[in-house]
Amino acid sequence: MATKEPILSARDVEIQFSLRGRKLTAIRKCSLDLYEGETLAIVGESGSGKSVFTKSFIGMLDANGSIIGGSIMYDGVDISKYKTEKEWMTIRGKKIAMVMQDPMTSLNPLKVVGKQIQESIELHQGLKGEEAKKEAIEMLRKVGIPNPERRYNQYPHEFSGGMRQRVVIAIAVACRPQILICDEPTTALDVTIQAQILDLVHSLQKELHMTVIYITHDLGVVANVADRVAVMYAGQIVEYGLVNEIFYDAWHPYTWALLSALPQLGIKGEELPSIEGTPPNLFNVIKGDAFAPRNKQALAIDFVKEPPFFSVSETHKAKTWYLDPRAPKIEQPHSIRRLREKMRERS
Amino acid sequence: MIKYTVKRLLQSLVTVLIIVTIVFLLLRMLPTDYYFTEEQLMKFTEEQKQEQLLAAGLLDPIPEQLVRFYGDLVRLDFGESRRIQNGVPVVKVIGSKFQISMKLGIISIGISLVIGVLIGILQTRYKNRIPDHLGTIYTIFVNSVPALVSYSLVLVFGSRVLGLPSMYSTRNPGPSSILPLVCLSMTSIAWYALWTRRYMIDELNKDYIKLARVKGLETKKIMTRHVLRNAFVPIAQYLPQSILSTIGGSLLVERFFSVPGMGPLLTDSINRYDTNVVQTLVILYATLGIVGVFLGDVLMMIIDPRITLVGKGGTR
Repeated sequence: MATKEPILSARDVEIQFSLRGRKLTAIRKCSLDLYEGETLAIVGESGSGKSVFTKSFIGMLDANGSIIGGSIMYDGVDISKYKTEKEWMTIRGKKIAMVMQDPMTSLNPLKVVGKQIQESIELHQGLKGEEAKKEAIEMLRKVGIPNPERRYNQYPHEFSGGMRQRVVIAIAVACRPQILICDEPTTALDVTIQAQILDLVHSLQKELHMTVIYITHDLGVVANVADRVAVMYAGQIVEYGLVNEIFYDAWHPYTWALLSALPQLGIKGEELPSIEGTPPNLFNVIKGDAFAPRNKQALAIDFVKEPPFFSVSETHKAKTWYLDPRAPKIEQPHSIRRLREKMRERS
Repeated sequence: MIKYTVKRLLQSLVTVLIIVTIVFLLLRMLPTDYYFTEEQLMKFTEEQKQEQLLAAGLLDPIPEQLVRFYGDLVRLDFGESRRIQNGVPVVKVIGSKFQISMKLGIISIGISLVIGVLIGILQTRYKNRIPDHLGTIYTIFVNSVPALVSYSLVLVFGSRVLGLPSMYSTRNPGPSSILPLVCLSMTSIAWYALWTRRYMIDELNKDYIKLARVKGLETKKIMTRHVLRNAFVPIAQYLPQSILSTIGGSLLVERFFSVPGMGPLLTDSINRYDTNVVQTLVILYATLGIVGVFLGDVLMMIIDPRITLVGKGGTR
């Protein structure tokens, strides 16, 4: 995949929010390449900047936030320089659409769902009136809603949470976007419904040739759907690679910590590991590796100098001094090796 | 729906009945002298008064009077005014006045709804910019300056500078109602602007607006198609009530511009112990209040599909 040209390429993006006169740097020189047709998962804890980073691709940052550095190249244009609504209109929906976390609040409660889907069809597919209505019904059928003709005329409160998320997906997909950003699409849903929604997005992705970005903190979701994974911490991507490389050969200590905390890896009777401490305060300037204060095996240099990306393989890079040839030899933790062994046994 | 309406109406009837009974009983506690006009009191001897009272059934035991009173109500006979306009049926006394009050009231609601909501929309559109601040200044001004002061300003400006009549006259209702209308609308414009802005900003911050933006809808269309209607729901609930309550007129404005409306009638009739007028006014106001709330609920149910007044399996 690395040989392909990326369809969207973010370079050293910096995003700042001003809160009561103070500056909070939510995204600190973050870079990301997105390749056509892939499914990329961005994982990280709350506040790591996953949502903010992807929201900047469609100009949906809150009013007090702005991109202060770097570039986001899409279709040969640096969209990070877009300022006006008119400019963003050429991207929003048309090229990049988004599914948000909470289906309970994502729909207008006073409009029948069919009309809400129809709105996006009329905006982006050039259909009007009856034709658009027909297409909206078709869209409802496509996202797996039984009885679409009848459902077209119902209001959001007449739908269950899972059904509403299907409608939200229908609205986003009806724009026929090239890139679909799913911001924790299953967090608010039942576990059994989660799998259905993931399947639905997957099948729509194939049918409509979309590129999908998942934002999630659920590694189970990642393992199921992603081709590639990017791990975010304190406003930066700290490690990225193919899903197998991240799950079975991770190198960043934060990725280790995340994976070790997977309940599936726990040993009966032992306490499940957790990451001690809290993420750094983004109001302050961060020196060195942001994760160092929480890393028991941190090197001296971690506190002084920010590490660059080191290659593990062609597709797998990690931003940690552990991979520097001069670093003392550090073994991957037990749990990561156990994961790898488990996988070997299976194959 | 029909079942609900009937039930709700019956409940309202009981409420009105209780109010009426209490008022009736309280008024019967007044000295009997107040059943006569000032003139009659001067002329009549004690025997004449007793005779009159006996003839009118006012010396009967209270329960008997109460039953008779209910009977009159059913026949929509509200009696006659004794002191405000001696011998004229109460319905007539009120009727001519409420027409004037209601006409002014409804026009003023129309004006303030249009202007107020428009100001609210502009304030939302230009939030934290000059139009918004101007609107806020207006709202604060109207609400903090005592009504009589702002009415006086309107009066002075309107009559001195614009040469508009400062007194209402029935012969010249058009121009002479301009200043009363301005005063009536002033406060409600601020009210509608305030709530429109508030509810619109509430809606604007909701997730579904984000989704609408993400799908590429422009702000103008989001405002008209999504925000405005949703923001209007809570305002609409109070609309019928405020329209109906215009019948009651505004005490202050009507006094100020000598509009012969309903405003001063209740206080006048209480001051002058015109029991029949007081009773009828109380019935009228209670009914208007109850019907207004009911219509508000129905209206809200019509525009907000989430609200059903009838629960599943019977009335709520």
